[in-house]
Amino acid sequence: MQDLGKNFGKTLNLDKLTSYCPGCGHGIVTRLVAEAIEELGIRERTVSIVGIGCGGFSHHYMDIDAIEATHGRAPSFAVGYKLAMPENIVFTYAGDGDSCAIGLGDLLHAANKGMPITSIMINNTVFGMTGGQMSPTSLDGQVTATTPRGRDVSWQGYPLLVPEMMRAMPGVKFLARESVATPKQIMHAKKSVKKAFECQVRGLGYAFVEMIVPCPTGLKKSVRESYDWCASQMNAYFQPQIFKDEMEQSHAD
Amino acid sequence: MLTKCMFSGSGGQGSALMAKLVCLAAIREGLKVVMTQTYGIEQRGGDSTAYVIVSDEPIGSPIVEKDATLAVALSKSIYDLCFEGSAPGGSLFYNSSLVEEPRQPDGFEQIGLPVSDMAMKVGSVRAANMVMLGAVLGRSGLLRLESVEEALKETMGAKKPALLEMNIKALHAGYEAGREG
Amino acid sequence: MSQETLFLKNTETFAESMARCGVKYHFAYPITPATDVMKRTAVILPRYGGTMMQMESELAVSSALAGAACSGKLAATSSSGPGMSLMQEAVSFMAGAELPCIMLDSMRVGPGDGDIVGAQSDYYMATRGGGHGDYHVPVLAPASGQEIVELMPRGIRLAYVYRTPVLFVIDGVTAQTTESATLPEYHDYAADYDVSDWAYTGTGKHPKRALITGSYAHEDGFQMNERLRRKYERITEAEQLWEEDSVADAELVVAAFGIHGRMCKDLVRALRAEGKKVGSIRPISLWPFPQKAFDALPDTVRQVLVVEMNHGQMVDDVRLALNGRVPVHFFGKTGGDMPMYTLHEMIAKTNSLLGE
Repeated sequence: MQDLGKNFGKTLNLDKLTSYCPGCGHGIVTRLVAEAIEELGIRERTVSIVGIGCGGFSHHYMDIDAIEATHGRAPSFAVGYKLAMPENIVFTYAGDGDSCAIGLGDLLHAANKGMPITSIMINNTVFGMTGGQMSPTSLDGQVTATTPRGRDVSWQGYPLLVPEMMRAMPGVKFLARESVATPKQIMHAKKSVKKAFECQVRGLGYAFVEMIVPCPTGLKKSVRESYDWCASQMNAYFQPQIFKDEMEQSHAD
Repeated sequence: MLTKCMFSGSGGQGSALMAKLVCLAAIREGLKVVMTQTYGIEQRGGDSTAYVIVSDEPIGSPIVEKDATLAVALSKSIYDLCFEGSAPGGSLFYNSSLVEEPRQPDGFEQIGLPVSDMAMKVGSVRAANMVMLGAVLGRSGLLRLESVEEALKETMGAKKPALLEMNIKALHAGYEAGREG
Repeated sequence: MSQETLFLKNTETFAESMARCGVKYHFAYPITPATDVMKRTAVILPRYGGTMMQMESELAVSSALAGAACSGKLAATSSSGPGMSLMQEAVSFMAGAELPCIMLDSMRVGPGDGDIVGAQSDYYMATRGGGHGDYHVPVLAPASGQEIVELMPRGIRLAYVYRTPVLFVIDGVTAQTTESATLPEYHDYAADYDVSDWAYTGTGKHPKRALITGSYAHEDGFQMNERLRRKYERITEAEQLWEEDSVADAELVVAAFGIHGRMCKDLVRALRAEGKKVGSIRPISLWPFPQKAFDALPDTVRQVLVVEMNHGQMVDDVRLALNGRVPVHFFGKTGGDMPMYTLHEMIAKTNSLLGE
C-alpha cells in the first residue's frame, strides 16, 4: 500500500482516523492548513488554538501542540499566547458558530489589535456538531433545525459578513474569503491559507481567512448536493475574494 | 507608640498634603503608616479629611473611629467634625484665623493658632497648611522637622523651587510657634 | 529593583508585588476598586520585561490570561466583583486545564452592578470555585499592604506546585487604603519552577501536547476529576494558613478575615486589658479553609463570633468547621457610607455576648 505520509511531510497526521463526517469541508481545510505549516517549515513552533465544534477536531490530524479553548474565545486565547510566546506561530481554527456567534467580540477585537496572529474561520452556515442549527451565517430562508420555516431575516438577522467587518481595520494585513466548492477554488484557497501564515511568520499583522465549506450532515444533503449548494447558494451570497493583501507593501520593523 | 491623626480642611487648603507629608516623613523615620479615605457624611461638599495612623509597630485597625489623638481643623466648616473626632487625652489644633468661637473641650487639649494670618506673612495664605503642620510637629514631637522637610522637598522640590522655599519658611514659622505655644 | 519601603495604595502594592515576584503579563479591564493595579503595572511591568495588556472585557481578559498561562509563563489579572463574574468561564477552564496564574478580586458590594464601595461579598464565589464544575482555586486574603508583599511568593508557589489559578481577595476598603509597605528586591519566583514537562511551547521541544478540558467522556472524565480531587485533598492538607491571637485560654473567639481580621488584633488587646478571655482567628487561606485552627480550639472556648463585611458567608465555613461544638454568632453588614462595623461596634458586640 502506498505511504501517503510521504506526500505530506510531518505536519499532517494520517494515522489518526478522521472524526469528520463523509464529505465534510473541514477535511479539506485541515489539510490546507497542515500543508501551509509544512511548506513554511514552522511545525515545531506552531500552536493551534481551536474552538468548540467540529473545528475542534482539526488539531488531532496535525503533529503540532494544540489548545482547545472555551467556546468563542480562541482569538483571545491567541492574543494572550502570542504576547507570552512572540516567537511561536499561533493560529485559531473554528467554525462560524464559534467565531461569529458566541465569539464575534473576541474575534473582531483580536483582529483590531493587529498582533501577528492567523485565524481560519470555517463557514458552513450551521452549527454542525450540535446537529445543524441556525448560525449567524445561515442564508436568508435557509431551513435549519432551529429555523424550520427558514431563516427570517426580518428578525433573525441577515447572514453575517465577517471579513467585511474587518476590512477597515489597519492591523489586518491579509484578509480573504475562499471556498472549497470546486477543485479550482481549493487551489486558490491553498494560496490564501499559506499567505495567512506567512503574514504572521513575517510579523506583519493579523491575517484572517474565511472558508466557505459544505456540511452535508448539518445541511441534511448528500455529499454531492451539499457541494452543489455550496457552489451555488453559498458562493453566490458570500462572494469569495481577497479583500486585502498588504503583505507586499508592509515591512515589519 | 501609636498616634491616630485626622487632617481636615476645606477644598484647596491642602489637608491631604499634610497627611501625605506626615506619612512620607514617618516612613523616613522607619515608622509604619496607614492613610484611609474618608467615609460617611464628611466626604460630601467641599471639605475633606485624611486619616493617618503612625506607629512603631505593625498597625492593627486602619480605621480612625472618632478616636483621633491628634486632630487638625484648618477651616470653620470642619471644626465640629474634628472636635467630635478627638479622643480623651488627645490634641486638637485649629485655625484661629477662621474658627472664631471654639467650643470648650472635655478631656483633650485644644490649641488655636492663626495659621492663615501667619501664612500670609510668609508669602501666601495657601501655605497655612504648612504653618499648621510645623506647629503640630513643634508641639507634639510626632516627627522630626527635618524628616518632614525632606518629604516636602521630595514631593514638590524639582518642579516648583520657589513654592518649595515658601512652604519650608511656613513650616519653620509654624514649628517655632508650636514650640512656644 | 532593590528593597525599599514605599507609601502606596494597597492596589499599587499588589501591582509592585506581582512585578517584583516575576509576573510578566497582566491582563485587565478597568473597574473600581481594582483599576489602580493596571494603572501601576502599565508603568512598571515594562521595567521587568513584562506587559500590561488592557482587554475589551473581562471575558477576553480571562481568556487571554488562559492563553498566556498555556506557555508556562506567569500571567495575572485583577478585577472586582462584576468583572470576576465574567471571568469565571476561563477560571473554570484553567482549573480543569491545570494552568497556573495569579488573580486579584478587589471586592466591592453586590449583587448586580453593585456599588464601588468595599465589601467582602465575594467569599462564596471565591471559595466555591466560582464557575461551573467540581473545582476549587486556592484563595489568599491578605489584610494589609505588607501581607500582600509576603503572600505573593506563596501564591506563585501554589500556582506552580499545584498547577492552578490562585486568587487573592481583598476588600475594597483595604485595597484603597494607602500605607507603608517594604517591597522586596526583584526575584522571578516563576522561574524557580520547571514547566518543561507540561507547557505548550511547540513540538520542537517535546512530542505533541494537546490541552483538552472538554469532550471528556466516561473513563477519561472520571480520571480527570479524580486527579483534581486528589490535588485538592493535598492542598487542603498542606496549605491551610491562618493567624491566631490569644486562643490558648480563650472563652470567646472572634473569627474574621481581611480588614476585620486585622481589627481583631486591637479588639483582643483592648478586651484582654480588661481581663476578658477573648482570642481571635484570622483565616489567611480562605480555601483551603483553616479547619485545623478550629479543630485545635481549646475546651475553654464557649462561643465563636464571626465578623464579616457581608451578610454571612465565611460564617458557614466556621459552622462546618466546628460542627456544632460551640454556638457560632454572626455580626456583619455591607454597603452604604460606612460599609463595615467599626472596632468599637465589634467590641460592643463581643461584650454583649460575654454578658456585659
